[in-house]
Amino acid sequence: MPLFALVDCNNFYASCEALFVPARRRRPIVVLSNNDGCVVARSAEAKAMGIPMGAPWFRIERQATRLGVEALSSNYALYADLSNRVVDILSTLAPALEVYSIDESFLDLSGMSGDPAVLGALIRQRIADWLGLPVCVGIAPTKTLAKLANHCAKAGLAGADGVCDFTAMPAAALSRLFERIDVGEVWGVGRQTRERLAGMGIGTVRQLRDADAPTIRARFSVVLARTLRELRGDSCLALADMVSDRRQIMSSRSFGARIHDLSDLQEAVASHVARIAERLREQDGLAGVVQVHLQYALAGGGARGVSRLLPLPEVSADTRVLTRQALAALRALYRPGQAYRKAGVMLLELVPAVHRQRPLLAAPGTGMAVGAGAAEGRSEPLMRVLDEINRRFGRGTLRLAAEVGAQRWRMRCARRSPAYTTAWEALPVAQAR
Amino acid sequence: MVTILPPPMRLLPLDIAGVSAGFPSPAADHAAQPLDIHDYLVRRPAATFLFRVRGDSMQGAEIFDGDILVVDRSVPARHGHIVIAFVNGERFVKRLHRQGGRMALLAENPVYPPLEIRDGVELEIWGVVTGSFKRFAV
Repeated sequence: MPLFALVDCNNFYASCEALFVPARRRRPIVVLSNNDGCVVARSAEAKAMGIPMGAPWFRIERQATRLGVEALSSNYALYADLSNRVVDILSTLAPALEVYSIDESFLDLSGMSGDPAVLGALIRQRIADWLGLPVCVGIAPTKTLAKLANHCAKAGLAGADGVCDFTAMPAAALSRLFERIDVGEVWGVGRQTRERLAGMGIGTVRQLRDADAPTIRARFSVVLARTLRELRGDSCLALADMVSDRRQIMSSRSFGARIHDLSDLQEAVASHVARIAERLREQDGLAGVVQVHLQYALAGGGARGVSRLLPLPEVSADTRVLTRQALAALRALYRPGQAYRKAGVMLLELVPAVHRQRPLLAAPGTGMAVGAGAAEGRSEPLMRVLDEINRRFGRGTLRLAAEVGAQRWRMRCARRSPAYTTAWEALPVAQAR
Repeated sequence: MVTILPPPMRLLPLDIAGVSAGFPSPAADHAAQPLDIHDYLVRRPAATFLFRVRGDSMQGAEIFDGDILVVDRSVPARHGHIVIAFVNGERFVKRLHRQGGRMALLAENPVYPPLEIRDGVELEIWGVVTGSFKRFAV
């Protein structure tokens, strides 16, 4: 029987920010999007104060500061490093895993012996011990249910101590639980779908699960019909089968033959980047983090996957910037002598391009953002030309030769904490006194 | 304790065991890897973090101002370990004393008194220091 777990870090950015700073423990903190625009993450204490997700900081700054809320700029260097460590730990505890986002991974537990809830508790304990980060674990026979179980663990609706195992619950209890959960919590049910479902009288997870499948398929899509089957425990999505989600874009492909050389992998990775960067620009997005994943054949048969996240210096949709980071991630992963079967690239932490608006005026008391406009001015028309030529004359007509000279621009990130784990000059200081 | 290696000497790197021109030696596949300082200092990369030392209170333990500490969070902290401890909102490197009902953080320099952990002290043993290193300015 298929069995999946979804491991999700609680308030991931805020937890990362508190790891090295004791004064931030159990304090209200918020993390701001690039250019210190909107609230993109909150600690539990900030959530409890009612600070809404997405709130523009300039609007709530005065009141929040008075309440003792600390605001921080996004520190993707720190988050990506800790995310990679979580994945490293998980990959020693489960045979197969899919990195779903910077703070979520699916594990395939099919065929593992023992109580899955015990494994869930071990995962939670180990990540708390080794990394000081709290996680919740949802366990179920399908990915959609595992994600829902995770929600239940996090919200304290079911399970215990941050682990919720649907396979250990009787069917009647599960049905009662699903009656209490809004259908909007289901993976892949967006706001529009939720509204249309409401119009049909479907407001809870239970109502969707028990809805008439042919009607759902006819009125919505094959995708939602598949979600319905997954809610009933019928596993349709394997690891790495993505539910379309505008928060990330992925391109991945198996090779016709085994690949050994770094240069061949570089070519594959660069072409994946070119494809997804174009898609990113089509949806007017910018990416914060690039992930590269590889799969290699094991000597005794089977395969093993590895992955590495790397942050971008700033959110970007520039193929050159994305390629540079993807190739750096590839170099970190590559081991000579492995027979690679598959490579892929994912863009994560997507934000709408409007989030990176040029600051028109310097905010009082802060430095003016330097150079943001200038770099943008060069990058966006260039990328438009690139996309246009490729559309007209076929994909790949115009490609990047290699790395174009390093181009860095500075956004407003006055509140950024140090890159504690990735820069020598930023190591946390231990007082010897 | 002295460990006596059985003959032949196992620690001799194979690639200096003999030099022959022409045919590659079949032993070349087992050539010793160059020593990797990272591997020596870091046993569990996922759980290991680095800290910079500021101050002279640990000099008795060969830990000096400016040194970099290797901190392995996978090691459970025990009495006698050197640890990173968060005390009342500050990060310290200290020797952990936890014996006979007394809990304290000790310095390795007589100038600094022990920090007794009593009720009301906010303490978190963050991780165990498993090594230290530095690079000289040359």
